Amino acid sequence: MDTEATTPRLTAGDDSPPRGDSGRTAGRDAVSIRLPAVSAYLSILRTAVAGLAARLDFTLDEIEDLRIAIDEACATLLVRAIPGTDLECEFVLTDQAMDITVTAVTIDGRVPEQHTFSWAVLTALAGHVEASSGDDGQVTIRLVKRRGVSS
Amino acid sequence: MSSTAPDVARQPLDRSQAKQLLVVLAELPADSVERQQLRDSLVRMHLPLVEHLARRFRNRGEPLDDLVQVATIGLIKSVDRFDPERGVEFSTYATPTIVGEIKRHFRDRGWAIRVPRRLQELKLSLSAAAGELSQRNGRSPTVKELAGYLELTEEEIIEGLESANAYSAVSLNAPEGGDDDSHSVVDTLGSEDESLEGVEYRESLKPLLEQLPPREKKILLLRFFGNMTQSQIAQEVGISQMHVSRLLARTLSQLREGLLVEE
Repeated sequence: MDTEATTPRLTAGDDSPPRGDSGRTAGRDAVSIRLPAVSAYLSILRTAVAGLAARLDFTLDEIEDLRIAIDEACATLLVRAIPGTDLECEFVLTDQAMDITVTAVTIDGRVPEQHTFSWAVLTALAGHVEASSGDDGQVTIRLVKRRGVSS
Repeated sequence: MSSTAPDVARQPLDRSQAKQLLVVLAELPADSVERQQLRDSLVRMHLPLVEHLARRFRNRGEPLDDLVQVATIGLIKSVDRFDPERGVEFSTYATPTIVGEIKRHFRDRGWAIRVPRRLQELKLSLSAAAGELSQRNGRSPTVKELAGYLELTEEEIIEGLESANAYSAVSLNAPEGGDDDSHSVVDTLGSEDESLEGVEYRESLKPLLEQLPPREKKILLLRFFGNMTQSQIAQEVGISQMHVSRLLARTLSQLREGLLVEE
């Protein structure tokens, strides 16, 4: 808790002002949150995802699924996250879907395996899941939840 | 000696038999063993009525198990107070008493849990509204729909959802009697278990799943491997969708911890 990197920061992308009923801009809005890679901060992401999903008119079922999904995705990453680093989370909102990416700097840069229980859970909750690795141990999990698709 | 208390518990409710037994019960002295046994049998015979009535209140934010329990208290009171000479059907007599117990439970809970009253009421009305709208629309409602229905802002709905998740953390940790569920769970789990086949660390997962209470296991498998939505599961299990969500989140974190230990 001693560097400025540990302060949660909330930024909204897309400079154009909001319009329309839902207060969303036409097309594609992006919201990113950066917070310490510590599980204590996950509640902020849960709240954020619920609020954003509500803006997209997701149903209660879908909202609760997303809340659990982001928890599961982050928990998967946090296990291998290097202490003192940040978790980066980006939510991209389109008319029909929420596209979420969470990225952490991990000790081994290993991408989560697809035949695990956790992966099955994420797939059931979000619909589409993928994982990738970047430089310096960065691992990203991407969840895409479409609106109005049951299960 | 105890021959007057036949084992009727497992048989379907037979009204004329129940009627007869109630007459016998009324004649037995209050402190006799036979009366005690007969009373127990009568209570067990009428448990389907209790469950039926409890189910009518299931979408209001309280676990069905709890509702069945308080409703059973109402049934016991009814058995004790029933006067066969009045010529009223027992079920007609018992229903208002049982429903009264359930309603009282909802009132009492309001004070038992230390959550600001406003949030607690919000949580209850949200849960009820979600159930109602789901039924009406055939799908889970959106926040906007809930806000319109309850005449609240979307902000308030989201706040209510948050507090609903937080609020049960304490009461959910209490042990849950899940015996009633076990039969139906056994019935449904076979096929769900097969769907777990593709999952790699099934071997380390299996013992953890075994340890889960039957209801939690059922909910987990139905959601993640049975392709059912939270609302559908809520209906199937007889609890609110919000309760399903909390149980899912909690069960997952338990499994996560368990699997970490395994690694």
